[in-house]
Amino acid sequence: MKVLTARKINTLLTVAGYLFIWGPIVVLGIFSFNASAYGVKWESLTLKWYIDLFHTPAIMKAVTRSLLIASVTTLFATVIGTLAGYGLYKYKFAGRRVLRMSALLPITVPYVIMAGALLVYFTRIVHIPLGYPAIIIAHISFSAPLAVFVTLGRMQRINWSLEEASVDLGANIFTTWRKVTIPLLLPAIFASAVLIFPWSFNDFTVTYFVAGVGTTTLPLYLFSMLEYSLKPVLINAISLIFIIMPILCILIIYFPKGKKKRIT
Amino acid sequence: MATSKIGAKIRANLHLLPTVGPISIWIFLFVFAPVVVIVFISFLATDLSGGILPKFSIENYRFLFFGGSEYARAVLRSILYAFVTNMACLFVGFPMAYWISKYGGRFKALFLFLVIVPSWSCYIVRIYALKQLVGYPGILNDFLLHVGLISSPINILYTPAAVVLGLIYIWLPFMVLPIYASLEGINPALLEASLDLGATPRWQFFTVTLPLTKGGIFGGTILTFIPALGDWLVPLLIGGNRVWMAGNLIEHFLVVRGKIAMASSMAVILTATVVLLIYVFMKLGGEESMERIV
Repeated sequence: MKVLTARKINTLLTVAGYLFIWGPIVVLGIFSFNASAYGVKWESLTLKWYIDLFHTPAIMKAVTRSLLIASVTTLFATVIGTLAGYGLYKYKFAGRRVLRMSALLPITVPYVIMAGALLVYFTRIVHIPLGYPAIIIAHISFSAPLAVFVTLGRMQRINWSLEEASVDLGANIFTTWRKVTIPLLLPAIFASAVLIFPWSFNDFTVTYFVAGVGTTTLPLYLFSMLEYSLKPVLINAISLIFIIMPILCILIIYFPKGKKKRIT
Repeated sequence: MATSKIGAKIRANLHLLPTVGPISIWIFLFVFAPVVVIVFISFLATDLSGGILPKFSIENYRFLFFGGSEYARAVLRSILYAFVTNMACLFVGFPMAYWISKYGGRFKALFLFLVIVPSWSCYIVRIYALKQLVGYPGILNDFLLHVGLISSPINILYTPAAVVLGLIYIWLPFMVLPIYASLEGINPALLEASLDLGATPRWQFFTVTLPLTKGGIFGGTILTFIPALGDWLVPLLIGGNRVWMAGNLIEHFLVVRGKIAMASSMAVILTATVVLLIYVFMKLGGEESMERIV
């Protein structure tokens, strides 16, 4: 009897938690199909806001910028991060623990601090121009650690004797890398890329600090729209894109294998 | 045998440079160096326009702590809000993780997926979604007015309560995941053993399950307490710039007023708090709490 009540409370809190997490997003999604421009009263079903998105050059430009930044970041961060994850797992060396902790730093310290520090560093010390170079460098600093830990997590499930076998059978280092190591690491590389891409695409705080003037990415554009309360329904339509993106990305790594995987 | 050992050693050393080399350089250049720079700048004197002078001074710190209670208060407020957020996330997040792990059955992956998706979507969008639902003018207010449950609109935006609600909303998913991972890692034999030895389910929960998920709980705490502590968008967008937290001060001094030294000293204080907290949480939660957050 007692177990039953405990279970009921547990279920209740879980349902409440899910409602809390998803309620606002679902309502937002529904209201993006609302004909009323003010977004709080339901009028009738329309796709007009989605069509509007494609006819607003500023939004299309922001999407292009975001996609460009996310692609470049994903490419570099995945390569650097995967290599580091591999090295951290395979080799014992002095400073291994320090490196592991350091890689954790950008993801645990609040973004506003690290992003602020980078802004000061870029403008006062190294003179990296704000805009694309600064954004991409900053994004790589924050997302390469994600790849490190995704790789570290996956390394344990890989049968490394294959690599040794390859060397024992006379393959040189490069052949071993090309024919054995990289294929073994592919799932980790893929998982990292699929996590980093939406991270970079969705990031606001880091981009906000180092973007300078003119490099308005989609989240920055959304923020300015929110600040000046422009066309709420158009914002709803953009918002849905941000929700659908991670769903697609996670679905890609999540379901084909049909087994659970820890992310973050 | 001996040759293969030596071969392995050479191989290891050859691989070290291209593998961990790039990230070491990157972290050194774009993580350590900026942090060192702001620590350095935070101890420099400022002229009237906010520019930095090459002269040592602790004026920035003195000003933050004693020059107007608003700044010290923002830091204390951040710590309080982060604590409340963390406790609320634990209160809802633990049952969620437990429920998924215990009753999720073959839909576990789906339930987990439903937690992960919001945590990976755009932060601004989520704040906006919450604001639009509970704010005024807002959908919930409209609905309640329409059905006659309330007679005048309730506006909870721009209050401390709204800021804390926003923080919980944003960071809750990050509490669920580490706890779930830690629950899944419990050896079922231990649970059976406790039942065989006569524990009631409640006793079992408090003496076996809960202590074994300590790592997950502290991992989740690192992932909710610390970002909530440094949050600046929730107070900005939901608090309407009326309820300031430490993060807002950094942004304000750095971007709006261009007082770099002041912003740096604020960032240093916040970083020191964060590092101290991570250290404490890791001590309390053990090595596992670090593994759980990655």
